[in-house]
Amino acid sequence: MTPVVETSGLTKRYRRVTALSNCTISVPEGRISALVGPNGAGKTTLLRLLAGLAAPTGGRAEVLGGPPRENPAYLAEIGFLAQEIPLYRRLTAEDHIGIGAHLNPRWDGKLVRERLAGLKIPLDRPAGTLSGGQRAQLALALTLAKRPRLLLLDEPLAALDPLARRNFVAALAEAAAGGGLTIVLSSHLLADIERVCDHLILLAESQVQLCGDIETLLAQHRILTGPRKDTTAIAATQTVVREDTTPRQTTLLVKLNGPVIDPAWTVDEPNLEEIVLGYMSAGQAGHGAGPAGARLSAVGGDR
Amino acid sequence: MTWVTWRQYRYQGALAAALFAALAVVLLLTGLHAAHVWHSALTGCAKNGTCASLTGSGLSLSSPTFLTLVVATSAVPLLPGLFWGAPMVAGELEAGTHQFAWTQSITRRRWLAVRAGWLLLAAAVLAGAVSAVVTWWSGPYNALNADAFQVNRFDITGIVPAGYAVFAMALGICAGTLLRRTLPALAVTLAGFTGLRALTALWLRLHYMTPVTVYYKLTAPFTPAGSYLGISQGWIGPNGQPPVPGPGNYGFDGEAVPAVCEKFMSGPRPDPLPCLMAHGYRGFVTYQPASRFWAFQGIEAGIFVVLAAILLAVTFWVLKRRGA
Repeated sequence: MTPVVETSGLTKRYRRVTALSNCTISVPEGRISALVGPNGAGKTTLLRLLAGLAAPTGGRAEVLGGPPRENPAYLAEIGFLAQEIPLYRRLTAEDHIGIGAHLNPRWDGKLVRERLAGLKIPLDRPAGTLSGGQRAQLALALTLAKRPRLLLLDEPLAALDPLARRNFVAALAEAAAGGGLTIVLSSHLLADIERVCDHLILLAESQVQLCGDIETLLAQHRILTGPRKDTTAIAATQTVVREDTTPRQTTLLVKLNGPVIDPAWTVDEPNLEEIVLGYMSAGQAGHGAGPAGARLSAVGGDR
Repeated sequence: MTWVTWRQYRYQGALAAALFAALAVVLLLTGLHAAHVWHSALTGCAKNGTCASLTGSGLSLSSPTFLTLVVATSAVPLLPGLFWGAPMVAGELEAGTHQFAWTQSITRRRWLAVRAGWLLLAAAVLAGAVSAVVTWWSGPYNALNADAFQVNRFDITGIVPAGYAVFAMALGICAGTLLRRTLPALAVTLAGFTGLRALTALWLRLHYMTPVTVYYKLTAPFTPAGSYLGISQGWIGPNGQPPVPGPGNYGFDGEAVPAVCEKFMSGPRPDPLPCLMAHGYRGFVTYQPASRFWAFQGIEAGIFVVLAAILLAVTFWVLKRRGA
């Protein structure tokens, strides 16, 4: 199956800074992909490039079979929700529904009204007077009403309280369950992500550290715990992503290249958070397996 | 997109319409009064045969307050550009709503074209409507003072206000797109508009067409007919140069009296004119005739509309080229 999103060497340079460097990812159809990484890692830039709001300075992106472009037919397939949850402050939800109806070929205004009614969000009040959570729900509903095939959400959970987050994530899962929808959402909230996402893209320092199905990633990584000792032997057979040493013991996050034979190591399956944090801190620390980890892009692939 | 534009600007539009209505009512009432005074004065002077001196008679058509109000409409064409034009793109960029607008199934070009189109039209209609009322109101004044072609009269009547408004709107939109912030865009629009208006009114306008120069005998001064636009006026000698003041440094009618005719400057009623004429001095006036009023209106409106078109082209180019 051709991936919905496929980029190779995608790069975005602004005048002085490189926001995204040599980004190669692939998201198969139907996935809910979590785009994670520290602040300034290039998550927003990647989403904006995919939405056609910015043009890359290098590399190429294929989204739904073509490069992202400023074209009504393309834009009709994309739902983009920016981090600041942009809505016209003085316009009501009903006004926004009207705008969407006038600017989109497929538009499901009924869906927005039903969702908002279910959440008890008034349709006739200016968006500026709604709470942050209500605005986020309204913006998501408007994005979904386009009936996009690819949903790009930039930190949609950031403005929400825990309960609203749960509702929001549930709404996403429900939208994806209908089929034919692929979602890429960036977030810092790993717990929420784990509940709904089945695919992960990890960016750090403008580069892709990991990209693949979460199940695959979990199966590929192990946490090794053992007495403090030289790690050269294990590093020769496994890819050490991160190494933590205390005076008494060594903890390693490794990407498996084969079975761990040395009985000195206790082998545990990591959870998603441990993998993500392992790669993120490896990239930051710049020691140990950092550079090696940084080159570990596109593992997992699009099987 | 038209519906979207209407939805976003309907309150501003209603406010502008209300302000215009208020201004129109004030001008209608005072204008009717002025027209009445003017017509009675004309009837009166026709009976007495004093119509030639009506201009200097100190006839008051309206209170100076209303005249000031009418002159102040000079700023009307700027307002839509400031308050609708400058924030049109910059306001969206500041609020982030461009990310909503430009990810609907519409190109930025179409978004800009429709929205800018309606705003340009609204600005032209507003300024044109104010100008129409002001033009009617100014009729008796301009007839009385023969000043339709003067700065602050020419600029608030006819079709130029609509041209100014289109330019101000385009400037506001373009500045907002380039600077991405409303406040600096506002400042640029204000400065650019005021600067160009001053430049055209004080200098450029004098040269739209080759001016007419009339030479006259000093004893029979010539004044062009109607509301002409004067450029220069004075005496010139046989060498084509203005007179050089003599050692006595005498002046007559605001002109220097040359040495050869200074002897006529003494006595109770000095009159150097026959002497000056005998030495080949003439009077001249260089001006744009009143008949060119509408040609000049067309040229000036055209200049501003062309500049607006250039600014809009720049805006489209920038918006297309630059990422959001």
